[in-house]
Amino acid sequence: MSTAAITTAPASAPLDVRNVLWLLASMVFVVAPHVPRLPYWIAVLCGIVVAWRAWIAWAAWHFPRRPLMLVLTFASIIGIWITYRTLFGREAGVALLITMAALKLLEMRTQREVTLAIYLGFFLVLTSFLFSQSIPLGIYMLVCVWIFVATWVGFNRVGRAPTLAERLRPAAALLVQALPLMAAFFLLFPRVQGPLWALPRDTAAARTGLSDTMSPGNIANLIKSGEVAFRVQFEGERPPYGALYWRGPVLTEFDGRSWRMPELSSLAEPRYAHQEKLVRYGITLEPHQKTWLFALDVPAEKPPRTTMLYDLQMRSVVPVSQRIHYDMASWLEYRYGERTSPIIRRMALRFDDERNPRTVELARKWFAESGGDARAFITRTLQHFNKEFTYTLEPPPLESRNPYDDFLFDTKRGFCEHYAGTFTLMMRAAGIPARVVTGYQGGEVNPLNGELIVRQADAHAWSEVWLPGEGWVRVDPTAAVSPLRVEGGVNAALGPIDVMSSIIASDSLGVLAYARYTWHMMNSNWNLWVIGYNTDKQRQFFTNLGLPRVDWQTLAFWLVVATLTVGGAISIGLLVRDRPRRREASVIAWQRYCTKLAAAGVTRAPHEGPLDFLARVKSTKPQIAGEAEEITRRYVEARYGAGASRQELAELARRVRELRAA
Amino acid sequence: MAAIANLRQSISDWIFRASFPEAPPVTLVQRRIFILPSRQGYVFAFVLLLLLIGSINYNLSLGYALTFLLMSMGGVAMLHTWRNLAHLRLRPGRCDPVFAGDIAQFNVSVETPSLTRFAIAMRRSGEEPVYVDVTPSETAGVSILVATRRRGLLRSGRLEVFTRYPVGLFHAWAYVDFGLTVIVYPRPDVFAGAAPMQSLNVSEEGIPVPGEEEFNMLRAYRPGDAPRQIAWKALAREQGLLTKEFSAMASSELWIDWDQAHGADVEARLSVLAHWVLQAESFGQSYGLRIPGTLISPNRGDLHRQRCLEALALFDSPSPP
Repeated sequence: MSTAAITTAPASAPLDVRNVLWLLASMVFVVAPHVPRLPYWIAVLCGIVVAWRAWIAWAAWHFPRRPLMLVLTFASIIGIWITYRTLFGREAGVALLITMAALKLLEMRTQREVTLAIYLGFFLVLTSFLFSQSIPLGIYMLVCVWIFVATWVGFNRVGRAPTLAERLRPAAALLVQALPLMAAFFLLFPRVQGPLWALPRDTAAARTGLSDTMSPGNIANLIKSGEVAFRVQFEGERPPYGALYWRGPVLTEFDGRSWRMPELSSLAEPRYAHQEKLVRYGITLEPHQKTWLFALDVPAEKPPRTTMLYDLQMRSVVPVSQRIHYDMASWLEYRYGERTSPIIRRMALRFDDERNPRTVELARKWFAESGGDARAFITRTLQHFNKEFTYTLEPPPLESRNPYDDFLFDTKRGFCEHYAGTFTLMMRAAGIPARVVTGYQGGEVNPLNGELIVRQADAHAWSEVWLPGEGWVRVDPTAAVSPLRVEGGVNAALGPIDVMSSIIASDSLGVLAYARYTWHMMNSNWNLWVIGYNTDKQRQFFTNLGLPRVDWQTLAFWLVVATLTVGGAISIGLLVRDRPRRREASVIAWQRYCTKLAAAGVTRAPHEGPLDFLARVKSTKPQIAGEAEEITRRYVEARYGAGASRQELAELARRVRELRAA
Repeated sequence: MAAIANLRQSISDWIFRASFPEAPPVTLVQRRIFILPSRQGYVFAFVLLLLLIGSINYNLSLGYALTFLLMSMGGVAMLHTWRNLAHLRLRPGRCDPVFAGDIAQFNVSVETPSLTRFAIAMRRSGEEPVYVDVTPSETAGVSILVATRRRGLLRSGRLEVFTRYPVGLFHAWAYVDFGLTVIVYPRPDVFAGAAPMQSLNVSEEGIPVPGEEEFNMLRAYRPGDAPRQIAWKALAREQGLLTKEFSAMASSELWIDWDQAHGADVEARLSVLAHWVLQAESFGQSYGLRIPGTLISPNRGDLHRQRCLEALALFDSPSPP
């Protein structure tokens, strides 16, 4: 019998250095995604604390004294309050949690406190999801959990410090075996639509997106963002590219520079005098913290929990603070608003006489020259844009009092908001009711799943004019300047605007494009089915399975079934791996051999070794001496020697079976 | 109160099948293993609840995923903890006698039939555990150390084998009782002086004085021979380990007698007697022991010394602690 390492663990043994370093590394990993968001003094403090704790473990340095810890704790709380002016809310709360977790490390002396630190680590994983739930972050956090569990396993070992594999492998086994049950709970656990209590204010962090005002320059800024605004899944055929006008905020009020939404607006159900070419689609809208929803011009119906304004804007009842999905239908050919009330028409004619006088004057002159024919006037204006103007992302700055005069007569370089704004103002000056419509135009089709990805870069502004007998008619002055913008998107009109696009543009093999489309498809499914999995999706999931009515009892029943199945499978797996090894098979054969000889009158004494026993067998039972010797030799070789192959063990078992001892 | 404590003990005995001691080897089969969450495990459940509430409140799908992953991992860890203990084979080891005040060792050997088991702990109830890793290639020895204070028969009692590996959320345990005992000899009273010489069958030459024996012969070394008897010169001449025998040893007999030992109480007397036994043995003298109820005729050697010390250890204590 060899005596393996024996260790008594005293009540408060100093923590193993390697284990402490593992824990510190896990903490660094889990906090890393937060670092760019943290005020830099917290990042520096955390770095110092981690190094300090590592030094305490490494050099058996003494722990900081209690008064110092109290001072550090209060100082950091005050620091956070000064930085954020609050201790609650998302940003400040996370900063507080990280700081307290770091300071807790400095006091960590016992196994119990280590476990608490690991639990804190799990909370830090959760806080990362407050900021992003993307696929890369999800994978990264899964790795973090793995490292945490590996650290945990290390702390539960006693004696010899575990090797890297002895930490990572058991942790991986635990997590991999947990995955099926996790999936079952994810799908079946009754989802409650949060929040349970009011969210802290800053959850709705500012995001890029359209706003309720438009002045020259602010959409051009949006164009530089590659962020996804929403994704569209068409049922049936996708409409032509040039028809993809995604209607958003409609801006009617004008002060000479900026266009805004009217403060008051009335509700109206759309009544179309003419409607054709219905197209159905689903939209997955990224949160933009505003109430408007986007739909293809013009919406034929509205999703639940939304309202429709008289100018065909769709508004959600609550701000879109999380990704939502809604099904829509739109008319591509339509006529509406011939009977728009005079009040609304008058609103669409207001402008400040004293600003942009040259533009107003030019418009009045051209309208008079066209003999009061609105169509001819519109055509002339668009032709003017087409001849002399340039479509550019970097327009020169405009004079603030009369920006449209400056644009129309001097700079002549602009982006969609310049054209839409100038055009609408000219229409109003000529007495034609007009308004600015903002939204998105076009999008990018993912050839892998046919999904349309609409980005902030697709933001667009155009005009609507009201003509007697025709109602509201869409006019896109940008199309007159740069038809490519409408037919081929921003990249086609301006050339690649960022590094990624230029790489993809030069990617003749299409490999990069393929990878990017795959990535988008994955993201889309991830958003739809993982991140967006909620009460509705859960119901939809069961409907797809053919179980239309699902109550919580059914869910609980299936959860129990899943738990028992997975638990049973894992238990069986563990027990199968626990089967005796080959060395054991030789023991079983040997015991059978001894039993047989005992029945024949030769009983092996407990202390008797195989060779002593063999000698005794040979002297008392000379008739089986040869066979006994062979069996003993094989057994000794298998058990105490080099081991035995499967065939050799089978041979040993066969010889024992065929032995005639009596 | 005592009655309640007794009742609790008997219920616990009944639940944990305290029909011991049992024959070795003991395999920790399924029904012998109990498993419950540890305190850490209960705290972990609370942490999971907080994570779930956070995920609901902030509508974090990945938060749900994290919560369910950790929860399922806890469940899987329960199976792993249980498996870490299951099918272990335990055998009692030899437990050598010690003198009171020394550390007694209860030895148990542990084998695993298959995979390596980590952090297997063993303890007597209420004491600090001893940890060991058990690899399939060798038998691991576990020594449970107990400080002795009084002479007598020290019983191991029921041993608890437990583990919390891999993550400490669950405590899986089993009880075994091999009825291990350690004989605790009385602590020898080294200040007691030499034993009074008294021979029952007085020879004509008179009473031999220790130390004046004549060298008789050399014989092969036997474990337990006193170092001063070893023929170091012979060893230096590379003749092997030999022991010097003295003629006087064979001819004189010493009786170590209860009545001649003076002490404050029974224990003090036993200590004096123990000292005399050791002294006589180290002098290579033949000695007998006479205490109330026991008479051991003169002899010498390891076995004889053991018999004498055992008799002293168990004197007047039919049921020691």
